[in-house]
Amino acid sequence: MKFHVPIFEVKNLNFDVGTQRILSNISLEILKGEFIAIIGPNGGGKTTLIRMLLGLDKPTSGEIMIYGKKLNRFKKWDKIGFVPQRASHVDSNFPATVQDIVNMGRTSKRGLFSSMSTHDKELVNDAMIKMDVLNLKDKMIGTLSGGQRQRVMIARALASSPEILILDEPNTGVDVVSQNRFYALLRSLNKDENITIVFITHDIGVIADDIARLFTINQKITICNNPKQTLSCEDMSLLYGFDAHLIHNHKHDH
Amino acid sequence: MTEMLSYEFMQNAFIAGFIIAILASVSGTFVVLRRYSMISETLAHSALVGVAVGLVSGYNPLWVAVVVALLSAWLIEYLRSSFALYSDAVLAILLSGSLALAVIIVSLGGAFNNSLFSYLFGSILSVSKEDVIVIVVVGSASLALLLAYSKELYFIAYDEEVAQTSGIQVKLLNFILVSVVAVIIALSIRVVGSLLIGALMVIPTVSALQFKQGFKNTTLLALSFALVSVAFGMTLSYEYSLPSGATIVLCVLMLFVISLVLNNSKR
Repeated sequence: MKFHVPIFEVKNLNFDVGTQRILSNISLEILKGEFIAIIGPNGGGKTTLIRMLLGLDKPTSGEIMIYGKKLNRFKKWDKIGFVPQRASHVDSNFPATVQDIVNMGRTSKRGLFSSMSTHDKELVNDAMIKMDVLNLKDKMIGTLSGGQRQRVMIARALASSPEILILDEPNTGVDVVSQNRFYALLRSLNKDENITIVFITHDIGVIADDIARLFTINQKITICNNPKQTLSCEDMSLLYGFDAHLIHNHKHDH
Repeated sequence: MTEMLSYEFMQNAFIAGFIIAILASVSGTFVVLRRYSMISETLAHSALVGVAVGLVSGYNPLWVAVVVALLSAWLIEYLRSSFALYSDAVLAILLSGSLALAVIIVSLGGAFNNSLFSYLFGSILSVSKEDVIVIVVVGSASLALLLAYSKELYFIAYDEEVAQTSGIQVKLLNFILVSVVAVIIALSIRVVGSLLIGALMVIPTVSALQFKQGFKNTTLLALSFALVSVAFGMTLSYEYSLPSGATIVLCVLMLFVISLVLNNSKR
């Protein structure tokens, strides 16, 4: 059965910067196999929440458990694939081919001095095929377009064969065709491979059919268990603080 | 050439020089990619404090330099990770502080002499058999550490936060990298000199980066540039009685200019 094993459990989480409260009393659970989208205005705390789940920032107060363990005792980070917001903004002079970057996804699973095993190579190859970057494998990362780089970063995350994939606005700067293919891939990873997906986006309309739950974050969190029904204009206005309208995408029937 | 290599001091200098070229260029690749180029200059100046203490106290300056450079590397990492200080500001503070301290120690101890000059600018005459043994043993251990963690250090250089979220011990590896760099710099000052070792660490990698290759090829190019510079630089140093560090650095600078011109003319 899906949706029974908690991966992340967050209780009464607060995060302050100086005297300013960035996140207030956040409690949530993310269960194995879920497809969760997080939306909210810029500066609302979405990325901050993700950074705390990944141990990159420490909360001011509250508790984060991963796979039943306190965050500071959790060791199996290779179960988590992360694609950060700025992933496509790479140093164009960095000496790395696409293959070099995707290989990084296997780094934490390899031993000292060890070269890539056949299994490692297969996983890297599969990830490049899934993200349609295999034909770019010998290209320097700095010569790729923003969209291509983004796909490479996701391929790197997939190469680690993660149980959970966390993506922070991965489609920034990516063209519409690539976006649609990307959403199809996320659906397939979630449904066919049971990879839990947590996804920060502003483009909720396109994937509303697929997501299990929607977290809306603007300092506080609201959890919507039925995203498609909950996305009313009133809710959006409340969340973003000004008049907001949902533009229905007829191609996707919502 | 045959005559030059028949002297024992030249054999020592070449063995030490080639090992240092390997160590400096391989560690330099990570240092440059981490945007840490200034750390080599700072640690070289810290090592000079060790040399000063060694010269004044009578202990082997090379060993004291290793210890002081290591302490300085750990202090840099501590200050960088524990306080809201800019990395380059931390390096600049320690660089000038170390130099001031070294000058005061040498001045008080009356050690302003040729021996100090050779540590500042390198001297092939000063490389003893014992120095070569220390450089081979400690250098091999340092290189082994770098190679053992090369894939992790490369990942960290590319994206420190994603590397951390994938389970790589970023803090530990940063600590290992600066420690290895500190040791390599302290070992190198006999041949290249404390004021010039930073160049041998940074310039071969920057030259190699001009060729826009992947990681492996970039490292191999940097290594080749460093080896060629050491070979030519030490030969020039022998032929014209020049400080070895300066001639090595001028050779590596020449290769940098050639790399720059070659790769800009392609565009």
